[in-house]
Amino acid sequence: MRFVDEFRDPELAEVLGREIAALCEPGRHYKVMEVCGGHTHTIYRYGVQDHLPESIELVHGPGCPVCVIPMGRVDDGIAIAEQDGVILTCFGDMMRVPGGRGSFLDANARGADIRMVYSPLDALRIARANPDRQVVFYAIGFETTAPSTALTVLRAKQEGISNFSVFCNHVTIIPAIKAILDSPDLRLDAFIGPGHVSTVIGCRPYEWISRDFGMPLVCAGFEPLDLLQSVYMIMKQFTEGRAEVENQYGRVVQYDGNPVALKVLADVFALRPFFEWRGLGSIAHSALQLSPRYADFDAELRYDIPGVRVADPKACQCGEVLKGVLKPWECKVFGTACTPETPIGTCMVSSEGACAAYYNYGQYAKQRLTLEVLR
Amino acid sequence: MTSCSSEPGCITCGDVAVPLTVLAVDGPDATCADEQGRHEVIATELVGNVVPGDRLLAHAGVAIERLTGV
Repeated sequence: MRFVDEFRDPELAEVLGREIAALCEPGRHYKVMEVCGGHTHTIYRYGVQDHLPESIELVHGPGCPVCVIPMGRVDDGIAIAEQDGVILTCFGDMMRVPGGRGSFLDANARGADIRMVYSPLDALRIARANPDRQVVFYAIGFETTAPSTALTVLRAKQEGISNFSVFCNHVTIIPAIKAILDSPDLRLDAFIGPGHVSTVIGCRPYEWISRDFGMPLVCAGFEPLDLLQSVYMIMKQFTEGRAEVENQYGRVVQYDGNPVALKVLADVFALRPFFEWRGLGSIAHSALQLSPRYADFDAELRYDIPGVRVADPKACQCGEVLKGVLKPWECKVFGTACTPETPIGTCMVSSEGACAAYYNYGQYAKQRLTLEVLR
Repeated sequence: MTSCSSEPGCITCGDVAVPLTVLAVDGPDATCADEQGRHEVIATELVGNVVPGDRLLAHAGVAIERLTGV
């Protein structure tokens, strides 16, 4: 496949792995966090860690949109869906995220009408086709996804569609990275920056990480060789005594992002004072709400929403996994009580969640390691 | 083509974006094709005017960037 096969070449991966190993300082251990869940998925799916020396440890970050949704916000969605005449729409993975009162799928079994959509524009189409129903889009995601919600709100306003609204749960990546750097639990050496979030926001918003914390950050693509090259670029910075923001994903990411998308985001959304992240707690200015200019489309103003904080199940250690403090398999319920079929925690729901990615692919990596040891 | 239900996961939730080629333009929307030739209608307001042959990166039904050199 064009633009894909050349980024999955196993021979090139081996060469890169050797070059990375040659850059490692003997006796030093490097902890590199990949912020984005899409990267976590690639790392497990293609065994990227197998190509790296033992001294480089990839730590999984909080950038899985579904994983960071707290249980209370799932219950809020169900409360909206249970109101008369409402069709709630959401992305696929969101259907299975457990809340305090079960998941959206459970709510459907009780009679709610919650439908999966691929785009918020599909939710708007459902609103046009059902003028006698209220259609609410349950918006999740980082800056990659927020522009599509913003554009949909703009189109709804332009067309005067009054039976459409948005329950906004969009989050922003920079405050989450700050929260991780402020956490006493984890010592990191560098970041692999999120490729598609950076398509929108660019690379400049990360510069404080290099400047204030002296840590390299490389924005990376999503193929195995993208990730290996990013690690190479990080190691090169270490050997040359540099700490900079670099862009490995130049075929997609512009250093200043997409200015039109940023303008639309600034118009449609406003920063929330606080938002609760699963595992990371309440983080200031870390999420978006509709700006007062678009209040007519704000489901939080249109519906009576419980807004109750629901504690995570005691056995679930998603919080530690999201912060990179625990590896998925170190969680008490991983692979036993919590599996992709019966997830307890959000990290097991989405394929970008570290637990689901490891459950689906990581076991093969362990088998490879065992075989090597036996040899 | 990029269904939420497709394996191995939900590409929309996963911040996955797809490279597409513009086939035809209809106002703010464009019919695009992916590498397998499957078609999808994409909103293009965030990337400016597009013409057939342009390469776009799309996420959740919306083009979020133009692709250059690929």
